[in-house]
Amino acid sequence: MADILFYLFAAITLSTALFVVVSRNAVNSAMFFLLSLMGTAALFVLLDAYLLAVLLVLVYAGAVVALFLFIIMLLDMRGGERKPFKRTTLVAGTFAAILLGLGVLSFVQHSQLSSAAVSADVPALGASLKGYAAQLFTTYLLPVQVVGFLLLIAMLGVIVLSKRFEGLEDVK
Amino acid sequence: MTPVQLSLLLLFLPVVSAALTAFFFRRSPAIGRALSVGTAAILAVLGSVVIFGTEPFTAKLEWLTIGPLTIELGLLVDPLSKLMLAVVVFIGFLIHVFSIGYMKGDPHAARFFGCLSMFMFSMIGLTLADDLIMLFIFWELVGLSSYLLINFYYDRPAAVEASKKAFIVNRIGDFGFLLGIILAYWTFGSITLGAISAKIAETPSLVATSVGLLIFCGAVGKSGQMPLHVWLPDAMEGPTPVSALIHAATMVAAGIFLLCRIGVVMTGDALTVILWVGVTTALFAGVTALGQRDIKRILAYSTISQLGFMVAAFALGSLLALQSGADRALAGISGGAAAAMFHLTTHAFFKALLFLASGSVIHACHHEQDIYRLGGLAGRMKITFATFTIGTLALVGAPFLSGFYSKDAILVLAYRYDPLVFGLLLVAAWLTAFYMTRLWSVAFLGAPRTDHAAHAHENGPSMTIPLILLAVGAALSGYGWFYPEALAVIPHQAHALITGEAAKPAALAGVAVFVTGAGLGFLLYRPGSVKDFLQTRLPVVYNILENRLYIDALYDWYVAKVQQRFAMLVNFIEQIFLSGLIIRGLAGVVGLIGIGTRALHVGSLHVYVYWFLLGVALFWGFAAGVF
Amino acid sequence: MTIGINAFLFLSVALFAIGFFGVLLRKNTLVIYMCLELMLVATTLALVAFSRFNGTLDGNVFVFFILTVAAAEVAVGLAIIVALFRRRQTVMVDELNALKN
Repeated sequence: MADILFYLFAAITLSTALFVVVSRNAVNSAMFFLLSLMGTAALFVLLDAYLLAVLLVLVYAGAVVALFLFIIMLLDMRGGERKPFKRTTLVAGTFAAILLGLGVLSFVQHSQLSSAAVSADVPALGASLKGYAAQLFTTYLLPVQVVGFLLLIAMLGVIVLSKRFEGLEDVK
Repeated sequence: MTPVQLSLLLLFLPVVSAALTAFFFRRSPAIGRALSVGTAAILAVLGSVVIFGTEPFTAKLEWLTIGPLTIELGLLVDPLSKLMLAVVVFIGFLIHVFSIGYMKGDPHAARFFGCLSMFMFSMIGLTLADDLIMLFIFWELVGLSSYLLINFYYDRPAAVEASKKAFIVNRIGDFGFLLGIILAYWTFGSITLGAISAKIAETPSLVATSVGLLIFCGAVGKSGQMPLHVWLPDAMEGPTPVSALIHAATMVAAGIFLLCRIGVVMTGDALTVILWVGVTTALFAGVTALGQRDIKRILAYSTISQLGFMVAAFALGSLLALQSGADRALAGISGGAAAAMFHLTTHAFFKALLFLASGSVIHACHHEQDIYRLGGLAGRMKITFATFTIGTLALVGAPFLSGFYSKDAILVLAYRYDPLVFGLLLVAAWLTAFYMTRLWSVAFLGAPRTDHAAHAHENGPSMTIPLILLAVGAALSGYGWFYPEALAVIPHQAHALITGEAAKPAALAGVAVFVTGAGLGFLLYRPGSVKDFLQTRLPVVYNILENRLYIDALYDWYVAKVQQRFAMLVNFIEQIFLSGLIIRGLAGVVGLIGIGTRALHVGSLHVYVYWFLLGVALFWGFAAGVF
Repeated sequence: MTIGINAFLFLSVALFAIGFFGVLLRKNTLVIYMCLELMLVATTLALVAFSRFNGTLDGNVFVFFILTVAAAEVAVGLAIIVALFRRRQTVMVDELNALKN
């Protein structure tokens, strides 16, 4: 059962990701991205990381994609207009992506991981919220603080960047 | 004041005068003239003090130390330099006075007088130098002064060419001189004359011969010996006082002075070479003078011929001393140097006189220099004629005048050494009488041939008084009593030659040569003759002589065909390889690198991502162990 | 389930490659950014898979932080793109070539 679910959600993820890349409309891309995130969340659930799945949906699908859509709308893009891809770009891009993929895969191959399923005596630690909390507030306390700081800075940065600057000549 | 201070003052006063003129007084001829002539007068006084008031001395100053080589600059005042100094300072002063009249009305006179002061500085420095480096420095400075003065009339292309020729030909001689100095340092470990003379006994003969001959190269260039004599006749493009001072009395005599100074290193082989160079020069210059029509050129060739006599005299005396078994170290200070320096002194007097008199003639005849366009000046310019006659008689060796005694000393030496040399020198002396009589009779006697000559009149006292004074010197400088105590060493040594063995035959031969040469010259080149005798009777010979035995033509051909082509080849190589390939090539490579890296800035994000991919692939290669 | 870790890794790599392909292919800055996020998601997937198959929590916690940082980064990045749009009136990458040559 779980296997079938895995294959299903894997297919969803990959196909929607492909559509993100290929679709004409930017809004369509955003929508497909959303679906891709859904698929990934489902895969997380399959991996017993329930909190992360929910967080993915909430944060990524909810806030980030929404933000993307806001900006796409804001920038007043003309919908279906997009020049068709150039042949060379397609070929080069495919080649590059395959190269990269093969490269990373070769590392995986090299590390000779066993392809057996997860054995029963490996605990699914990510399933419980308690475990997370314990880790976050003891081992990873410093990163939590730093990330908090980071969010503050990001907020400030966004506020500064959104200001209108008058009187600067255009850079051509 | 100590002698050293006096000598330094003597040395540096003229250069101060020259510097002042150069910086401040270039446009005021009067001030420049006054400054220079005044300096010359003071130099005469100071020179007298140094000569008569001081004992011989040396002084040293350490100048430069490079590793083991220490170059010291030093002053050496001994009988030899005292005599030379006397010649330079006194005759220099007289010529300065003459120049006042000669350069009257010339707007550039200040430059002339500045350069004259510069020359005095260089010549005095040369005379007082103690070691070879200092001598060489002043040697070059004298050459520079000569260059500046020859092309004084710089808007005349002939003068510019002549000055360049003079400098370059001198340079060739100086190159040999410099090699000689280096070899001397390498051999003797020092360049001070005293140190060299101390070590001369133990050097092998070949090295000493080479040193001597190389240093003689400098004398060949400066004193116009063959084959480097070609610059002297051309140097007559300069004003006549310059010809008198530099190219008759002093600078060209510097070569002889050098030989006398460096005489200690000469071996028998070197001296033989020097002897034959001198004899050849004396002969060929005398012959060439027969084919010249310009009064100054005739006198220039006469100077070259007399310098050949002096060089031969030096060599003869030293050879005789060596033959008689004297220690090599003493050979130079004996008869050879004495005869040469004695002839140098008398020659300075009468040659300067002849040049100044010819300058007087040129000035009076509106710069007419061809003797076949002169004539009849005997009546019109009495003082000039009288002094010129005295000078001519002195030059050709008329008895009782100075030239007779100095030439007699040389003939005595030649007679004692080798009959062949004696015969050749007699022929040269005969030629001297012959061509000088030609000059004298054609230029002064007979009827005037042109209007300029017809309207000539005597010049003012500033020009005639030096002539008279020099004539006195030319007449009397042959006698021993003419020289005061301090200067008498060398003339007395020379006189010892004249009154010693073999004096009679040499004297008789000298008189015979004078009589026959002058007589034949007077007969063949009659006063008032319009055409040159040799030109009409033996035109082929005359042509060769007029073209100066084609030696100048040979040099011109060499420079134009051989040297110029070589220079162009070297220039081509330099342009292609050095400038082009290496220098611009390196710059070009850097430029190419710049262009290459600039091409990477495409401005497209996607390209940059591809570059990232390349970087990742490289990392992957490293990690996977591919390289 | 019988799916081993290799399948998850393969999936992660494929997603990563697709995202890379998208970065190289598209000209719209926003879409490029979205593909960038896709790559990020792929790495989170790999991390969670490793964490699960090794029985530790570290991978999961790391993904936690990645999510946070990604959110902040998106905010700032989009603010930059908006500012750029205000300047140049375009978000097409081939028109943003002021650094050319």
